[in-house]
Amino acid sequence: MRLPLRLFLLIALAAGSPVAGDIAFVTCQNGDELSVLDLDRGAEVTRWSVPGKPAGVAVSPGAVFTVAADSKTVRRHAVDSGAVLAQTTLDGGPIGVVHDAARGRLFVSDWYNARIWVLADDTLALRQELTVGGAPAGLAVSDDGRYLASADRDADQVSIFDANTLELLHRIDVGTRPFGLRFAPEGRLFVGNVGTDDVSVVDPETGTVSNTVPVGARPYGVAFAAGRAFVTNQYEDTVSVVDLTTLKTVTKIDVGEYPEGIDVTADGSRIVVANWFENTVSIIDSNSLDVIEIIETCDGPRAFGVFLLGGRK
Amino acid sequence: MKRRSFLITAAAATLPGMALAHGPSRQKVTLTAEVAASPADVWAAIGNFQDMSWHPAVFSSTGEGDNDIDATRVLTLGAEGGPTISEILYKYSTEKMSYSYRITDVLVEVLPVTNYSSHLTVKPRDDGGAQIEWRGAFYRGYPNNDPPENLNDAAAIAAVSAVYQAGLDALVERFGAAAS
Repeated sequence: MRLPLRLFLLIALAAGSPVAGDIAFVTCQNGDELSVLDLDRGAEVTRWSVPGKPAGVAVSPGAVFTVAADSKTVRRHAVDSGAVLAQTTLDGGPIGVVHDAARGRLFVSDWYNARIWVLADDTLALRQELTVGGAPAGLAVSDDGRYLASADRDADQVSIFDANTLELLHRIDVGTRPFGLRFAPEGRLFVGNVGTDDVSVVDPETGTVSNTVPVGARPYGVAFAAGRAFVTNQYEDTVSVVDLTTLKTVTKIDVGEYPEGIDVTADGSRIVVANWFENTVSIIDSNSLDVIEIIETCDGPRAFGVFLLGGRK
Repeated sequence: MKRRSFLITAAAATLPGMALAHGPSRQKVTLTAEVAASPADVWAAIGNFQDMSWHPAVFSSTGEGDNDIDATRVLTLGAEGGPTISEILYKYSTEKMSYSYRITDVLVEVLPVTNYSSHLTVKPRDDGGAQIEWRGAFYRGYPNNDPPENLNDAAAIAAVSAVYQAGLDALVERFGAAAS
């Protein structure tokens, strides 16, 4: 069962791009593992051992990065085997992670010390630190590569940096306790506010909040497909679907218990949601808005970050 | 220094409804018990959010809102004047025989957790009788890095597991163990 997919992956990666099925790399914080899921086959392919309570994840064609919160370890894994190619221990509370492959940088948020670590993406050597607001969690890089954003939870704000110079551009007040955030394909930044059960829509250029959109209880993560935003509502076991033009809620989709990490397949056809309590992912058809498949994972899937190979930043 | 930050933590925990800082890993506990009685009988005993007298640690319960969403209860533990836990109901289904609630206020000295939510569910067993499932999700009592032993993840899991086990044991005694 396992060998053919690994072979497939090796071949696909050797060819330079994963031409066929999307692969999910789901960090399981309670189980100290990572589930590798083949979305086309609807099956778990293998599990990697990732000690230290991994939550944060960032997947790129050349590498899978994980952040283990308890052991404070950042690892770079080989995509095909999970082998640890580099690792580093950071003094603080590493949690969120985003990869800027174009510039060879990996950003990791420090939950306890109001900063972002800037690491070299190959060796994981520390290059620089960026000062942000209290308890930074989610990180995102815009699709055009211009901006880096962090959700500073205890400061109720978002910090936006020039992703090239790493200069601070804006500190923006959003809702209460922002945790997860992501840039929409057209460039706006969507920020889930855990305390106010809404999403702040931010213009990264002007540094202003253009809209505040009510969603469900404890919004956690945001992903985009088919002209809509999909937001996981942790305390409601639902995903809110918001039209990107009208910013109105289209519907809420029932998923598993404690939905957290959310990402989109490369072609935008499916949304994948990690259900933390019940150890599954729900796969949603982006057009019909139905849950089309449920796949079991390791214990406590967080998948906090970009976790689909080919998924959007 | 350590003591001071602990006191601040305890004080913050007394502000109801406040979204607290929390540790890096949410924990979960699921415990089940199998009893001989029918699901309906078990649900009749434990399905009222305003009556937790079935749990041996609960001395009394006062609350408002019956079994409606956002109903509240304050549990007094042990004896009169004992420590209290304040809770709020956020899901309730007679049909599914399940309710879900969150703790809005508890001292970490009483239960070393934060951001606690829980579900209590009664399900039919294939071979007759009922299964009672009690699940909780929570962060440890100490919100900052490098927690002391009494407020770390293991302490939180142990405390919640002990509460659930005591309640489930009492129900097995009351309704009889299911035939295995």
